[in-house]
Amino acid sequence: MSGVKPIDNPAGLSGVGDNSTSAFNIEQVRRDFPILERQVHGKPLVYLDSGASAQKPRMVIDAVREAYETYYSNVHRGAHYLSQRSTDAYEEARVIVQRFINAPSDKNIVFTHNVTEAINLVAATWGRKFLEEGDEVIVTEMEHHANIVPWHMLRVEKGIKLKVVPITDNGDFRIEDFEAALGPKTKLVAITECSNVLGTRVPIKRVCELAHARGVPVLVDGAQGIVHQPVDVQDLDCDFYAFTGHKLYGPSGIGVLYGKAEMLDSMPPYQGGGDMIERVSFDDITYAEPPHRFEAGTPPIVQAIGLGAAIRYVEQLGMDNIHAHEQGLLAYANERLGAIEGFRFIGQAADKAAIVSFLVEGLHPFDVAAVLDRQGVAVRVGQHCAEPLMDRLGVDGTVRASFGLYNRREDVDALAAAIEKAKEMLG
Amino acid sequence: MTGELDLPRYDEFVEALEIIDDEDMRFEYIIDIGKKAGDGSFADEWMSDGNLMHGCMSKVWIVDRMKDGRHYFQGFSDAIIVKGLVTMMVQSFSGLTADELNTLSEEHVRKLNLGALTTQRQVGMMAMLEHMKKLGRAGGNLPADAA
Repeated sequence: MSGVKPIDNPAGLSGVGDNSTSAFNIEQVRRDFPILERQVHGKPLVYLDSGASAQKPRMVIDAVREAYETYYSNVHRGAHYLSQRSTDAYEEARVIVQRFINAPSDKNIVFTHNVTEAINLVAATWGRKFLEEGDEVIVTEMEHHANIVPWHMLRVEKGIKLKVVPITDNGDFRIEDFEAALGPKTKLVAITECSNVLGTRVPIKRVCELAHARGVPVLVDGAQGIVHQPVDVQDLDCDFYAFTGHKLYGPSGIGVLYGKAEMLDSMPPYQGGGDMIERVSFDDITYAEPPHRFEAGTPPIVQAIGLGAAIRYVEQLGMDNIHAHEQGLLAYANERLGAIEGFRFIGQAADKAAIVSFLVEGLHPFDVAAVLDRQGVAVRVGQHCAEPLMDRLGVDGTVRASFGLYNRREDVDALAAAIEKAKEMLG
Repeated sequence: MTGELDLPRYDEFVEALEIIDDEDMRFEYIIDIGKKAGDGSFADEWMSDGNLMHGCMSKVWIVDRMKDGRHYFQGFSDAIIVKGLVTMMVQSFSGLTADELNTLSEEHVRKLNLGALTTQRQVGMMAMLEHMKKLGRAGGNLPADAA
């Protein structure tokens, strides 16, 4: 039995099946997200912080509630009915993830708590085993700290080197700059699929081709990538792909590390404990095969089940439809916000996801975000866990509006009006 | 609780914020204080890394000059709202001895009733208070004024 609630006819989806070539009915979709009905500071909530964490559709909330209310128990310890049910639902979530990213097998899917843990897992196992002093790990200037710090820790521990691929002033990633960074000492490429600050998308398939031609494996930080368009890990041919549930409309506390079988098989365990072993005696221990080798202790059971429900939800809407919808919003935002006097886009790459970082001339981003908040507009402000990128761009921080599948043109209008209000109040 | 301390400027802020019963207005009141805080009164050389308060989303500098055993603070931020907040803090709690500063508590910040602010900024104000106490214990971070 599945722990994931089947989709009978969720409100937001009725239009999709009828005409899969058109974008979905946004008003129906919005009704799937109960939180969007609330007000903040007496104003309707305009949620433009999905890049930090996305809101949850009723399907996810229901799946989590159903699990706790009707069949929750610990997994993989199943002498009794509930444990078996929970185990089935947890493992079914793994299969849902596998299908979603087109992994060859569910054994390629390791559940973690988030992307940060997924990357740390690779650094601490594969990295510690295979990287030597002087070896180079390639990253870009636009990495999130989660894809910098674990490699820095190996730099301190083992003397590896970080090689940083530059971006252009406009925020573009140039494949020739990446190619130039590859060298005889390169042992790993650890790269974002989509910048959390600039929205810049990286051509991962081409990155993998170039890296593999030199025998170099590729780890992809897909935290911001997978939420905006379809991902096929076999087509990309990446060696690792990490993403997190809470940005994909699922619960927090659940992340995914996809790894090619030969990579996962070659890796020692990450943490030791229950659930990751075959046999334990005080003299010897045999570790479990992947993926369980990397899932020590009680895993985030219901969070995984919730992620499965979230994936079913976005699949029903269609990742291509979501992408088309968000790109339409981005184009509108570019036009609408670009018309505001003193508005400055930070990052206008040719290929970008629906993430808009900006500054308003003469105003501190923190002040702008505070006034936006008073208008019910939720955005993120600051360095976005990407301090090296801020240094590269020569700014202390930015305001970031990040769009999700439930945003609409009215949200862009509300953002524009709130920015005008900020100029009026703070100017 | 303000205890036994005489904090006239603090009491003025508390009273003003009590009278304003609209959150948006309270918010504007803080922006106003930030705007009115004379930029010229905070010397450029005080905006040094050494005077920077760490852990804030925007830059906050606080200086403390001792005179007759009492601490006189000035504060500045590159963000208007935070400048408003730090101005309230330094004006409220200037003129106290280090021992008196140490008797101040988070309750003093809460009593300002800055409901219009996010929890994060309330925490920021409490951090400012702790920073000022620390400066007080260290005898200030500017050369003391000879009496």
